[in-house]
Amino acid sequence: MPSPVEEPDRGAAPCPDESLLAGYETGRAYDEMFDAAGTARPHYLPLAERLGQTSAEEFRRRKGMTDLSMRQDGVGFTVYRADEGIERVWPMDPVPRIVPAEEWRRIEEGLVQRITALNLFLWDVYHEQHILRDRVVPPRLVVQGDSFRREFVGVDVPRKIYIHICGTDLIRAEGGDYLVLEDNGRTPSGVSYMLQNRQVLKRVFPSLFADYDVLPNDEYPAALLDVLEYIAPETGGKPTVVLLTPGMYNSAYFEHSFLAQRMGIELVEGRDLLVDGNRVFMRTTRGLRRVDVIYRRIDDDFLDPLTFRPDSALGVPGLVNAYRAGNVALANSIGTGIADDKGIYPFVPDMIRYYLRQDPLLANVETFRPEVPAHMSHVLEHLETMVVKRVNESGGYGMLVGPASTAAERDAFRDAIRAHPRDFIAQPTIQLSTHPTFVDGRLEGRHVDLRPFVLCGERVVVTPGGLTRVALPKGSLVVNSSQGGGSKDTWVLAPGTGG
Amino acid sequence: MLSRVADALFWMGRYLERAAFLARDVDVTFHLDLDLHGVLAAPVRADWDRLLPPSSPPPADGTGGATARWILLDGANPASVMACVNRARNNARMIRGQLSSQMWRELNKLYWHLSDPAFQERVAESPHDFCQDTQVGVLLCHGICESTFTHDEGWHFIQLGTHLERAEQVLRVLDARLRVPDGADAADLPVATLRWAAVLKRCRAFEAYQRLFISRVEAERVVEFLLLHRDFPQSARFCLGRVLDALAAIGGTSPERCDSEAARSVGRIVGTLSYLDARELADGRLPAVLGDALVRCATIGGLIQGQYSLA
Repeated sequence: MPSPVEEPDRGAAPCPDESLLAGYETGRAYDEMFDAAGTARPHYLPLAERLGQTSAEEFRRRKGMTDLSMRQDGVGFTVYRADEGIERVWPMDPVPRIVPAEEWRRIEEGLVQRITALNLFLWDVYHEQHILRDRVVPPRLVVQGDSFRREFVGVDVPRKIYIHICGTDLIRAEGGDYLVLEDNGRTPSGVSYMLQNRQVLKRVFPSLFADYDVLPNDEYPAALLDVLEYIAPETGGKPTVVLLTPGMYNSAYFEHSFLAQRMGIELVEGRDLLVDGNRVFMRTTRGLRRVDVIYRRIDDDFLDPLTFRPDSALGVPGLVNAYRAGNVALANSIGTGIADDKGIYPFVPDMIRYYLRQDPLLANVETFRPEVPAHMSHVLEHLETMVVKRVNESGGYGMLVGPASTAAERDAFRDAIRAHPRDFIAQPTIQLSTHPTFVDGRLEGRHVDLRPFVLCGERVVVTPGGLTRVALPKGSLVVNSSQGGGSKDTWVLAPGTGG
Repeated sequence: MLSRVADALFWMGRYLERAAFLARDVDVTFHLDLDLHGVLAAPVRADWDRLLPPSSPPPADGTGGATARWILLDGANPASVMACVNRARNNARMIRGQLSSQMWRELNKLYWHLSDPAFQERVAESPHDFCQDTQVGVLLCHGICESTFTHDEGWHFIQLGTHLERAEQVLRVLDARLRVPDGADAADLPVATLRWAAVLKRCRAFEAYQRLFISRVEAERVVEFLLLHRDFPQSARFCLGRVLDALAAIGGTSPERCDSEAARSVGRIVGTLSYLDARELADGRLPAVLGDALVRCATIGGLIQGQYSLA
């Protein structure tokens, strides 16, 4: 795949020829490991030294071990092309990404601030709608958004929390600042891969861990269960929590079963549940058993054929009414899609100022909305340098990466943008930061992002680290695993160590 | 336990057992073919045909090797060993959270190992490794299950599937053998004996038989051993006894008090096999006993599914 962006100003080779890092090039993008002069940043020094002592052969062997481990554990996902599901093994690059304690503290505070504002926004738009009346967010964007659930206006959700589980995509721009690219507040996935990457890396490179004090991430399943039990309706006893999956052919099925197992809860499909008298039950070998909380990994649209899509066989007829009656809790709540709608995204910093009276700690990526005439002309003129996204698509589908696009693709998008301005947003092409990644027998810089996982229950918990996704083709900026992206273990260092 | 989970455990047990049994059968038949090759014209055609699903056409090239390949792994054969392993894995995948991760891992490893094209290639020369690895893989799964899976309801559903399948397979092997007539001539005896020995080997019973009877392989004794033995884990009586135990455990009662329709049906065969005099079999009751047992095995699955509202 050709490089979409020219990368002038190659840095000098920081290491001797025989080493894995020999000839490592840094480009215009911020490199996580090396500064512009080609010197390893302080918190990467021990890792760089160790990599310098490792032969390509040895590294290849360990990379082989990671792949085998993933395959044998059945860690994978399913990609759908032309109606055919292909089982892919989860690709992990064995070079970890390292985040110093102080840097992480700032990320964490920014994420807590953001989820707090998003939950306040959701409560507001589904109740009094102050923010719309005050014209901070254009009302039309909300009430005409595909993911706004009109049926839920006025419905009180347990503990006033809408988004319990959030996976926020962060990127690092050329200057090294972290920016929020996307809030995923519907059914974000990837946390199982974060945990699995850590397990496999410990198995394959135990010696690396000895050099660093890495904060463990293993608490996630227990913290998630705390959140789910926190929102349970009052029943007096210990609530019954289940995870609702679309089934084993879903691309994230591994994650569903992984989380259910780690939490010790039942993994159910729609056909295992039924609603009777606005109460939810599961079918067991000993008859029906009451269900109190559902961690659902099914989109709103498929949740209940009586309320949403009537052709959906994945959901549970009557579930929405049981939820409305307060007899069962759902995580995430119904209707969260309006908060991570790409059309609403540009207004999140304003929400933070509006609800919290604080300045945003994590900035957005500069975003143009074609429905604003000035933005429209800017977008149409600069299409070849911008990334254009459809408001209602995710997973890297339906987007235009300007620098990598053909004239025909740009023309098609130009027409579509003119016809349906509300359906698009556009952002300048950001050079995501690069990280040394094992490719073709040596380490080369590849673009990465970071998805930390935020849990919102009695308090907000951000699991140290997250999922680092890496775009494997040289120069590519698309990190989605459905589009051939890989991943890395992500280390957050304990405070007071390693920078 | 979710009914769907119980169903998946039941079928995982069944398909694993079926894969192992079929693999063993192919291995034995392949070697029987080699043994009888010089002796008879079309030595084991009937033995091979028995292993082919009735609906699918046998491979054009009717040699033992090609037939073995078809039964083991041909993608067009929906009842191949590979297909059984795949179904077992799919059932396990559906409920992998319920299994120990080691058990899932072993089953998954088996699947990938058997799917390896280089490994499959070797079947053309001899099916032995493929058959052997399938059996060892299944045994590993059983072993891990035995020691890492809590012996509660779910475990009993696995036992139910495993033993019901095994009983049915043993009964079928006997039934098929009885349909192949032996010559009355004294010269035909070695061939008949080889065939009865193959029956024992198919049921993993050859060595146990020899230890028990310390004699040459004789038809009546083989039938008695595989049908009626109380403690040998591959005998039909033993397996169906286990089925009854599992049904009772799932129902939370003792085998004597278990009175679901499925349990009563199994109980009747177990009763027959437990109290039957071996001489009655030789006197002509064998076909009726065998036929009845086969019919009941085929219907028990449906009764269980109805009782526990399985899929």
